[in-house]
Amino acid sequence: MKETLIQILKDFHPEVDFETETALVSDGILDSFDIVSLVAEINSEFDVTVGVDDLEPENFDSVDAMCKLIEELQG
Amino acid sequence: MTLLSIEFAVLWAISTVVYFLFPLKYRWTVLLAASFVFYFFGGISTGYFMIITIVCIYAVARWLDSYNQKQKKYLSEHPDLTRDEKKAYKLTIQHKKRLILAGGLVICFAILVFLKYFNFLSSQTFSILGLFGVKAKAPKIDLALPLGISFYTLQATSYIIDVYRGKTQAEKNIAKVALFVSFFPQITQGPIGRFKDLAPQLYEGHRFDSVRFKHGLELALWGLIKKLVIAEYIGMLADTVFTNYRDYAGFVIFLGSVAYGFQVYSDFSGGMDIIGGIAQIYGINMATNFERPYFARSIAEFWRRWHITLGAWMRDYVFYPLSLSRAFANMGKKTRKVFGTYIGKMLPTFLASFIAFMLVGIWHGSSWKYVAYGLWNSVIITGSILLDPVYKKVLEKLKVNTECFSWQFFQIVRTFVLVSIGRIFSRSASLMDSLRMLKRMFSEFNPWILTDGTLLKLGLNEKQLFLVFVMLLVLLVVGIMQEKGIHLREKLDEQNIIFRWVFIIAAIVLLLVYGAYGSSFNAADFVYQQF
Repeated sequence: MKETLIQILKDFHPEVDFETETALVSDGILDSFDIVSLVAEINSEFDVTVGVDDLEPENFDSVDAMCKLIEELQG
Repeated sequence: MTLLSIEFAVLWAISTVVYFLFPLKYRWTVLLAASFVFYFFGGISTGYFMIITIVCIYAVARWLDSYNQKQKKYLSEHPDLTRDEKKAYKLTIQHKKRLILAGGLVICFAILVFLKYFNFLSSQTFSILGLFGVKAKAPKIDLALPLGISFYTLQATSYIIDVYRGKTQAEKNIAKVALFVSFFPQITQGPIGRFKDLAPQLYEGHRFDSVRFKHGLELALWGLIKKLVIAEYIGMLADTVFTNYRDYAGFVIFLGSVAYGFQVYSDFSGGMDIIGGIAQIYGINMATNFERPYFARSIAEFWRRWHITLGAWMRDYVFYPLSLSRAFANMGKKTRKVFGTYIGKMLPTFLASFIAFMLVGIWHGSSWKYVAYGLWNSVIITGSILLDPVYKKVLEKLKVNTECFSWQFFQIVRTFVLVSIGRIFSRSASLMDSLRMLKRMFSEFNPWILTDGTLLKLGLNEKQLFLVFVMLLVLLVVGIMQEKGIHLREKLDEQNIIFRWVFIIAAIVLLLVYGAYGSSFNAADFVYQQF
């Protein structure tokens, strides 16, 4: 899951090291346009529905946080 | 009563003393009492609308919360439910909650729309009817707009949406909800707070802290300097150009819009510093509303640094819900077939962004010029995203180094110019005036007005112009230091006591000697207070 997610994110920002970044939203690396596009990709790739309620910075600040959110939604 | 009135200073001084004398547990009641004195000081009549909003969001939040608790209880009592059964149950509850939330939002926004936009909508409707031969006088309501209604309505509605989303629990005490809506330093011009961040700070009794007290006063002093020494003077230049724009062309018009940009920035962010400083004295940290917007390298970044709490409100409660809605997703699927994958994928997001920016524009007031202001920002942001691949290719072909300072400086200047042009829409008297100003601005190339003495004929004398120039440099230096992460008040604390006092006294003298207050000035009102 993590590799797929990093691949998706690399399409948005090839220059960012997503393995190590832990403040993607808080530091403004991912903006609201990125988040919306990212959610569409996550929904189709992992067969989940990320809702508006899930759009908290802490859920998108790192790849690990995103994986955790996806796992919860799949659960 | 405004933030700069003697009455406000007296109210603040009394409430501060009483606040710290009260038992910790009940200190929030002092803030509530001060807030109601502040609000009703100007008159009782429009205050009723705030009361209706408070009662409405209190009842709606409690009702929504009862469904949240019911759902939580049911799911914990039925752990054996399948994923689909859980989903079906949640959907049933969500449907009921959605109706309750819609009712609350309709009441809160109906008050705002009726009071703020009725006359505009009425006149526009009857103008259109006039084209079809219907001749009747458009009905008008003659009621003053309640103080801070545009700000407290957004803050109040964010509370019930957050309860609906389960992000916060409903407050059981209506008096506490009243304080959240009406907290007196912020009600006139924000920042637009969120319940989970602001409310606990308001309700908790804070002990007196001398460092916090000093830092709060220092911040408020800086806010006063921004408002009275920068905004008021540079505003005179802006007023001269915008009022008499038919006498000017080219760079003078541009200079007027730049001046207005600095005026509104110093005025609004100065107001935020005064509010933030006052709140800090009570131990309350207000949300950040500005992060050096004129250092932004794109319009999108500018909106993440300017009036941050309004942008965040639009993002969380308009842009995200619309972008992720089923209707927009279906629209995306259909448009993909027509326009291809890229445009089809982005179109719903662009439309959501467009709606959000239109609302930002209209939120400022009921006039077509604000619609144009929203449109201007929306078109630039959408255009820059659409053209981004082309833009990157061109830069690559031309081998432009995008990492060096000169390129970043160019981006800052470019954004500044675009923002300044947009200001013409928001500041001019009407949409037609703004279009005429733009025409006049592009009709003449006259950069020599900066050196040929024209500047001295734009409402400011030589001394005032020099003062404005020096103060803008101060603003720039402070901005650069803040961008570098330097905390100025903490830095000041590290200095020797003599230097600290000399610095503070110099700032007070600057304010007293050069501040634009007194009978010859009209500095009582803040620009954003009127919105």
